[in-house]
Amino acid sequence: MYLGIDIGSSSSKVAILNSDGEIAAISVINLGTGTDAPERAVNEALAQAGITRDDIDYTVATGYGRVNYKQADKQITEITCHAKGVNYLTKDARTIVDIGGQDAKVIKLNDEGQVANFVMNEKCAAGTGRFMEVMARVLGCRLDELSDLADKSTVNVSISSVCTVFAESEVISRLAAGEKIEDVARGAHVAIAKRVTGMCNRVGYEPKVVMTGGVALNSNLVDALSKELGCLIEVVPHCQAAGAIGAAAFARELFEKENNR
Amino acid sequence: MAYREIIDNLCDAGLHPARTIGKTKKETGKDLVGCFPYHTPDEIIYAAGCIPVALWGGNTEIQKADKYLQGFCCGLLRANVEFSLSGAYDGLKAIIIPTFCDSLKCTLENMKLTAKCPVIGMAYPQQRKLQAGIDFAVSEFERVRHELEKITGRIISEQMVEDAFEVYEDYRAAMREFTEVAAAYPDIITAKKRQMIIKAGQFMDKAEYTKAIKEITEGLKKETPKPYKGKKVIVTGLMTEPVEILDIFEENDIAIVGDEMSLGSRQWRTPARRDVTDVYQRMAYMVADQKGDTFLYEPEKLRGQIMIDDVKAEKADGIVIFMMKFCDPEEYDYPIYKKEVEAAGVPMLYLEVDQQLNSFEQIRTRIQSFNEMLI
Amino acid sequence: MGEETKITSKQMLNDLTAKHYEGALKAKAEGKPVVWATSICPDELLKAMDLTTVYPENHAAAIGARKEAMKFIEQSEGEGYSSDICSYARVNMGYVDLKHAEAQDIPMPDLIFSSSNICHTVLKWYENIAKQLNIPLVLFDMPFNHEYEVTDSATKYIRGQLEHAITQLEDFTGKKMDYDKLAEVMEMNNATCEWWKKATDFGKVTPSPLNGFDMFNYMAIIVCMRNSEDGHKLFKLWYAELKQKAEEGKGPWNSAEEQYRIIWDGIACWPHLSTTFKLLKKYGINMVTSTYPKSWYKIYDTNDLDGMARAYTGNYANRNLDYGRDQMEGLIKEFNVDGVIFHSNRSCKLMDFRTYEVQRRITEATGCPSVIFDGDQTDPRVFSDAQYETRIQALVEMMEKNKEAKRRGDI
Repeated sequence: MYLGIDIGSSSSKVAILNSDGEIAAISVINLGTGTDAPERAVNEALAQAGITRDDIDYTVATGYGRVNYKQADKQITEITCHAKGVNYLTKDARTIVDIGGQDAKVIKLNDEGQVANFVMNEKCAAGTGRFMEVMARVLGCRLDELSDLADKSTVNVSISSVCTVFAESEVISRLAAGEKIEDVARGAHVAIAKRVTGMCNRVGYEPKVVMTGGVALNSNLVDALSKELGCLIEVVPHCQAAGAIGAAAFARELFEKENNR
Repeated sequence: MAYREIIDNLCDAGLHPARTIGKTKKETGKDLVGCFPYHTPDEIIYAAGCIPVALWGGNTEIQKADKYLQGFCCGLLRANVEFSLSGAYDGLKAIIIPTFCDSLKCTLENMKLTAKCPVIGMAYPQQRKLQAGIDFAVSEFERVRHELEKITGRIISEQMVEDAFEVYEDYRAAMREFTEVAAAYPDIITAKKRQMIIKAGQFMDKAEYTKAIKEITEGLKKETPKPYKGKKVIVTGLMTEPVEILDIFEENDIAIVGDEMSLGSRQWRTPARRDVTDVYQRMAYMVADQKGDTFLYEPEKLRGQIMIDDVKAEKADGIVIFMMKFCDPEEYDYPIYKKEVEAAGVPMLYLEVDQQLNSFEQIRTRIQSFNEMLI
Repeated sequence: MGEETKITSKQMLNDLTAKHYEGALKAKAEGKPVVWATSICPDELLKAMDLTTVYPENHAAAIGARKEAMKFIEQSEGEGYSSDICSYARVNMGYVDLKHAEAQDIPMPDLIFSSSNICHTVLKWYENIAKQLNIPLVLFDMPFNHEYEVTDSATKYIRGQLEHAITQLEDFTGKKMDYDKLAEVMEMNNATCEWWKKATDFGKVTPSPLNGFDMFNYMAIIVCMRNSEDGHKLFKLWYAELKQKAEEGKGPWNSAEEQYRIIWDGIACWPHLSTTFKLLKKYGINMVTSTYPKSWYKIYDTNDLDGMARAYTGNYANRNLDYGRDQMEGLIKEFNVDGVIFHSNRSCKLMDFRTYEVQRRITEATGCPSVIFDGDQTDPRVFSDAQYETRIQALVEMMEKNKEAKRRGDI
């Protein structure tokens, strides 16, 4: 059995694959490095798979908190693991868009599904999940309600600020001026989509474009990004755990290589 | 002293600029003249009986500099202004500031107010290949000489500048040889060591420093080159800082086998024209002959091709870009050489850096991912 | 008394602008070469060679004002250009790729004519375009004047470049420079500059018949027709209108009175022109001058290449802090200014990184209140309505306090 753990800044994800490479368990907890969430996620996954820690032959850690995760046999970056995970979950992906809590990345894959190039957001929150959190707070809704809220929008409201802090004040001004919450919510989604599109252009994106990470569950954002990029976007199943799945796939490969199978 | 010890000493010197500068002053008994990026007439300073020391920013909290420079000014210059306000530059006899970019122009003006010592502004000609440009460079060098004569109270004869020029030619040749030889020994001259050895020279008497470099080169040549299991890269940008990034390079067994950097080969790679008799003209021609320098006008924009050639020559695995945040000239060059390097199929890693960075997680991920990509 | 007397300078401005762009597109269509030039360059040389010229800075401003900048900015940022660099450059480089703007099209260049007296950016920006399009670049490197006056050695260097540029243009066109024509063009340049100065000097009158935001519009013509009869005519006409208004005691607007007189330091926020202008007008704030009028007052003796060199390198942005402060103090006094608005233009580091010190010095020397706000010349994302409003209000409060004190005889 092979375990992959992806310890992000705001969430911990674990995937377990069996010796045939099938998914035996997936767990996601919305707390990240520095908390007990990684351990809880591991325990949850083990319980789901009906096994104990001793049954795990190899562990690969990835994500922001990988360097401090002592129980891993190897640590591999989330860029490489997302590519691996996406290849596991779908075919012919050429571009991966992963919008995490603090980080946004666009990964370009070659024909073999390996990382050919990647772009990460510069020191700035405006293209990341943090921006969505700030928006949700200002609009007075939960993060998971943002998509539905934006879906109700009928009017284009543009949020132009590149800075999350300025954008916050811009949103407040809009609401004060009488713009509807749902329209502003959609504007916020479009703002992120534009930022991410810039990164996609820099890396030279190509279809098929795949989204991973928790923000991929936000269907309004996926739509907005799809419009900006001018192509369909596939949200892979278990999108939030794509990195963990990739890590587990690496775990299996590395174990089999070491044991010459 | 064994050459390995010299390596460690120089590396240490490069890691601690302030301490090294203090040591230089003590050991030479000479006055120090601060030099802003990216090229300054160091030979003239040396001829004046002073030691040129590089003022290329550093990792300091920026507080006082906010009074003069907004947050979107490059950290290197903000740090320099901060140092001038905090007293770090009080021991300098003078500071020379060339105007290679818009931020430098403004910083020059602000430094005249914040520095305690005289500030000498100057310009290098961008039309460096025209006769008018050569003449202008010479007139700037002569003006700087005149200013230094006033400040030091010493007459600087042409012969003194000639002698200083020879010291610097010796240094430049030694650096060319060192970097060429070091590329074959990435296990001994690791990424951090290479860069810190280079940096050390910016704070030392060049005559002394060159001796040390030559000993290292001789010592290396006696070793048998070993095959290197890690990846080799060419680095480009202003400087390979913050230094923690070099630690991450070493964590990932990435060696630096060549550089296209301002705090690097751009300082020494252009040979002097031996047929030019006047030393000031010779200095002007060195600027005129320089290729692929971000801060020198070059409509052919050779930087990309130069890096592609470096990669081939050193059998490197890729190029790592140290993009100093807020550096306009660097930001203009990037898309041009990016296209060329991508077309040549050379892998590139883009790192946005600033000297005041204190958290390296994203950079660690980028470097490690690049490594994983290359494997 | 024909048709001409009925036309206003505003109409003429619009006509000339249209003529300028149409002429350039037509020239290109006819197979004639087109030059792209920077805004304060010795384009007398181009005019003397009959080279059709357009000015990407004008073009980018027009694109920005019509709120079309984002598409070009996204294009160039997608190529890897940082959002840190000048937005005129990002818009223009995006235009080089996309080749069409709803606001206005310009033909692609066959030669670039760039002068770094306005900033170092135009050296790198045009180096890139010349390389990308594989066309010749005529570059005037005008070193930063860190001493108070322009030095003889800098003058000599620039003069040498003028001479070199002439040979470059001769190679490019295949014909020799007609020095008689050049002399005529120089004279026209001087004459037009004089009328530009005379017109913009009307800002000195209280109330000012000159609406400063208008001046931003007329500026486009001092850029592109400084050495042509058309430009000369326009500024003469504008001068005459302003003179009339001044004699009638008319202020800048029909629908409001001038209450406060300010300097707007820096270029306009083109995408937010209406917002920025409306708020000022609401408070009766009129921009009576800026550092721009003098920057285009490029006067020198005909055929004096040294004089031409000195004139071109001597604009505000290329001078040291002491000179800049003296300029601004002079303007405050001569134009009877109540306050200064500093546009901290994200795209213009050469202006921005001296703003703080200039602000301190003029406050100390003149007591004139001032505020700084964040904006950008063409990138619409860099501006906050809320911040601008707050800061202008603060300025009004300070200016009002000063006025009160004056009325009471405290000052």
